[in-house]
Amino acid sequence: MNIYDTKGRRRPVGLLVRLWACIIALCPLSAAVPAMAGGITLSGESTTIFRIRESIDKKDIYPAYEFLRLSATSLDKAGSLSFYFGGWGRADLGDRSTDKYRDGDLQYGYLSYRAPKGNLVVNLGRQFVAEGVATERLDGVYLRSDFAAGFGAALFAGAPVVTEPNTKGGEFIYGGRITHNMPRYYTIGVSALKSDQNGERYREEEGIDIWLHPLKQIDAVGRSSYNSITSGWMEHDYKLTWNPLDNLSINATYSDINYKDYFFHMTTNVFSLISPSNPTGLIDPNEKVRTVGGSIAYTPIKSVTVAGDYKNYTYEIAGDANYYGGKATFFLPASFVAGFAMHRMDGTTDTLRYSEYRIFVSKKIEHLDITADFFDVNYDRRINGVRNSYTVIGAASYEITPRLRIGADLDYSRNPDYDNEVAGLVKLTYAFDIRRSAEGEGK
Amino acid sequence: MKKILVILTVPLILSVLYACSTTTSIVQVHPEKVVGLSDCRECHPDTWAAFNHRAVGFFEKHRFYAQEQRQACATCHEESFCSDCHARGEIKPSDRYADSPERNLPHRGDYLSQHKIDGRVDPTACAKCHGRQNNERCATCHR
Repeated sequence: MNIYDTKGRRRPVGLLVRLWACIIALCPLSAAVPAMAGGITLSGESTTIFRIRESIDKKDIYPAYEFLRLSATSLDKAGSLSFYFGGWGRADLGDRSTDKYRDGDLQYGYLSYRAPKGNLVVNLGRQFVAEGVATERLDGVYLRSDFAAGFGAALFAGAPVVTEPNTKGGEFIYGGRITHNMPRYYTIGVSALKSDQNGERYREEEGIDIWLHPLKQIDAVGRSSYNSITSGWMEHDYKLTWNPLDNLSINATYSDINYKDYFFHMTTNVFSLISPSNPTGLIDPNEKVRTVGGSIAYTPIKSVTVAGDYKNYTYEIAGDANYYGGKATFFLPASFVAGFAMHRMDGTTDTLRYSEYRIFVSKKIEHLDITADFFDVNYDRRINGVRNSYTVIGAASYEITPRLRIGADLDYSRNPDYDNEVAGLVKLTYAFDIRRSAEGEGK
Repeated sequence: MKKILVILTVPLILSVLYACSTTTSIVQVHPEKVVGLSDCRECHPDTWAAFNHRAVGFFEKHRFYAQEQRQACATCHEESFCSDCHARGEIKPSDRYADSPERNLPHRGDYLSQHKIDGRVDPTACAKCHGRQNNERCATCHR
């Protein structure tokens, strides 16, 4: 949620003001929903993080963060009424020379009603909506329900949450999705969204999406999105999984993206399209990329998986690139995990020719968790004089009580941007979950 | 007058359609607590088996499943699980959860150097999270 002054500059609204705006907005819905006679569950988690690192402009910074999530749910036969809140705040304990030494954001804050029938959901407030062409954070309303004969629908409307715009992200956004499904076989959906700005068309997207699982062994998902303003397909993206055996999985992926249509009206400058009115743009609108790939994963025993994967990128302008490799993981639930991965990128330009490696291991010993992670990229051509870029991470955490955990990690990097980069993080996490019956007695 | 009719008719039609629905809503909380990367196939041989979190292609497909079965995700995941990556958070998820190396968290390792390469390979992958929001770090250099 932002406001703009008369010169079009963004003026951030304080976190508390945003929170209170959401709470006030939620009051009418809370009155409209039947009073809940059942028990109430309160849960939350506070994560306090202290970091030590170097900024991009080589200054030592000591930011302290507080991440907080809270939820309250009242559940009975008439459905459930919940309130969800998530946000964070940060203050730099060292450098307070600029007004950016502290910041924060309301990530979500909404009231939600869920009915016991028809998967009816009504949300009001700041939320994340994922319905077909829409993957949006918005301050507004969301409604979805199943209907008869396998049909279902979702509607949403509100103000888009645009956090740091180079341009505004549209004043108002609305849209919806209609689906039909046969639970054993498929779900197919059609969706649309529309957004205006200063009375002009800002975004208009339509799409079709599928989820097919006609046989136990086959699972396919995908989506095609069309931009009505540019009159072109933004994206086709489809993924198919075939499991001929319980321990063998074969995957195929296909995607086709047109930059002119996909990057239309992005608010981040780095995705601005080159045009006569914007010659300093960074994305060539004539570029297109088609990606075709596949992978095979085999699980010889329950705890071990080995996989090989391949992906080919074909660009209209930039040429081709192939990405291929393999990985292996060893996994014992809540006890031990280890993995190794090795991939090669072979492109037609020097910067797209490199090999990458990763090894990680994590072990739980009673209340203590220990993790080591090594990530290495070996470039064919030196970047800033560096051919081998790597990061080593060591992390440990200790469960003081079932609700309270303390952890720390330290990482060291050598890369084209930093000769020697050392960063540290300490975090304290407190989680709670309280259930109260209708009579107010704790359970 | 036409607008008023539409405003009155649409909720009426939606209410009738909802009254005709016969499905029972998905439970709010998964009956059994699930820890770590779950293999849903262990208990669900049906459609839910596709949600096996250890499957090689699950991370790439999770955005499709999230739109199809958001309430199913919510039986195990708090809303904050999505916002850790899909909302402005300032700390890279791979830094915040360095103690969970098995998760497919974005931007592992030295991402300052690697993002220039990934951004050329597939800028749409960046734009999904950073195109219209969560882009303060981008704006630091890309003004």
